Amino acid sequence: MIEVRELTKRYGSAVAVDGLSFTVRPGRVTGFLGPNGAGKSTTMRVILGLDAPTAGWATVNGQPYQRLARPLHQAGALLDAGAVHGGHTARDHLLAIAASNGIGPRRVTEVLGLVGLDSAAGRRVRGFSLGMKQRLGIAAALLGDPPVLMFDEPVNGLDPEGIAWIRGLLKSLAGEGRTVLVSSHLMSEMALTADHLVVIGRGRLVADAPIDEFVRQSSRHDVMVRSACDGDLAGLLAARGAKVTAEPDGGLAVTGLDAAAIGETASAHHIALHELTPRHASLEEAFMELTKDSVEYHADAPGYAGKAA
Amino acid sequence: MTTITATIPARARHLLASEWIKLRSVRSTYLTLLFAAVAAVSIGYLVTHADASHWATMTEQARASFDPVSDSFSGFGLAELAFGALGVLAISSEYATGLIRTTFAAVPRRRAVLAAKAAVVGALTLIAGELTAFATFFAGQQALSAQHLDVTLAHPGALRGVLAAGFYLAVTAWVGLGLGAVIRHTAGAITAMAAVVFLLPQIVHALPAPWDVQIGKYTLDMAAQQTIAQHPAPGYFSAGPSLLIVAAYAAAAIAAAAFVITRRDA
Repeated sequence: MIEVRELTKRYGSAVAVDGLSFTVRPGRVTGFLGPNGAGKSTTMRVILGLDAPTAGWATVNGQPYQRLARPLHQAGALLDAGAVHGGHTARDHLLAIAASNGIGPRRVTEVLGLVGLDSAAGRRVRGFSLGMKQRLGIAAALLGDPPVLMFDEPVNGLDPEGIAWIRGLLKSLAGEGRTVLVSSHLMSEMALTADHLVVIGRGRLVADAPIDEFVRQSSRHDVMVRSACDGDLAGLLAARGAKVTAEPDGGLAVTGLDAAAIGETASAHHIALHELTPRHASLEEAFMELTKDSVEYHADAPGYAGKAA
Repeated sequence: MTTITATIPARARHLLASEWIKLRSVRSTYLTLLFAAVAAVSIGYLVTHADASHWATMTEQARASFDPVSDSFSGFGLAELAFGALGVLAISSEYATGLIRTTFAAVPRRRAVLAAKAAVVGALTLIAGELTAFATFFAGQQALSAQHLDVTLAHPGALRGVLAAGFYLAVTAWVGLGLGAVIRHTAGAITAMAAVVFLLPQIVHALPAPWDVQIGKYTLDMAAQQTIAQHPAPGYFSAGPSLLIVAAYAAAAIAAAAFVITRRDA
């Protein structure tokens, strides 16, 4: 279990994490989601005792990380797949990390097999593809067979086969009762992998919910309707209990009535409809909706935030 | 080996093993040490050989102050630089790649990591440094023997000088390690190490008297020269106090690293 309470981290005047609290529980994959620069990596570094928090605290299995003896047996982490010495072989890289926690060469051979790097064990890491480095980083995280695992953007740079492999691995690790925290800036990826989501934006908690609930709460279901006389139609639909809002580019967004009811109402009053479209926000849009106020760098692209159905 | 390591506590033994694997599994470690040895021996041989050939034309004064031990270490500068760079890279390469985060996540006791690095780098560079020093000494004496200027290790001060020369190389590696941990950038740390080992003594040496000696005797290189020389230069400390000054540079660099390493984000 990972607990983060009232965590704040400032770098000079920049606030990376701002009063963040959440709990990561065992037995499920928790997605740690947020746009770039939201504070995901910073939070993970604080959890691992690498960065000191400005305020608040984080614990792993109920203890501050720095107090863990032989921490590889308590928590494993992949922060940055590129963080390897190019001159080391994959095996030496893992041997050095393992030795620091008293883990022997047999386990190194095991994890190399687990991530499918057995045949590349003797090669120097500088020649590895990003995907191979991700596997090596995951192997390092698994060395101590820890109950808590943290992966920062593990699918970056992987091919589809590698992505499928990671998904299966994360699910099986959680299935064994481990605590699994996976960060990503891609909602679509998390939708396929995570059971629970912690969403942050600009260092603050935006949502903390099971993925199903998250979808239900944040998904928008409405009907887009255009007609020759929107004003009259709006009044008629409102009279039937619908909630009607005018869209910026013309047309009406209607909730509370389905497309059939809207069409029949219009027909009964001889209003010709130009468009009648039921709309469902995708998970990706729900994510963008949630975090739109907290994206650090916006591209001014008019219409991009528009709702493709 | 096993009987020695068995007496070290398990956690320290694990850390030493980890740091030794890191150091032994990169090619640059061996290339650096080999380069240092070849440079020290060959330049030392060339200088002593030249001095031996010019012996007949040397002034009386130059002959009187001739020190066959120091003379054979004339080419030690490149070796000092190489050993210093090895010390820098032992930690700056981890900061440069981000590997230091993996290291500190595996071992949150950062000072223990630093101590293990200092012990492993120290042991390796001390052994390699002494081997280099003895090889350099014997090569130099071989060249000097043409004019019967050579001395043996039994000569008073000769063994001490050779051992001190090897120790000096290990000290430059420690200074490099300490500066690498403080500066955390390879190029910057190597520049700083070269400044401490070479530049600072030269600047001080150019000061007007008596400051050149009054300050100069505390610089790393001039102090190290006195530990190697058979007789200290006038105004400088003798070999014993000079050795303490040399060791103090290593201790200060590692202490500075220990001070900052827990105070900064990794």
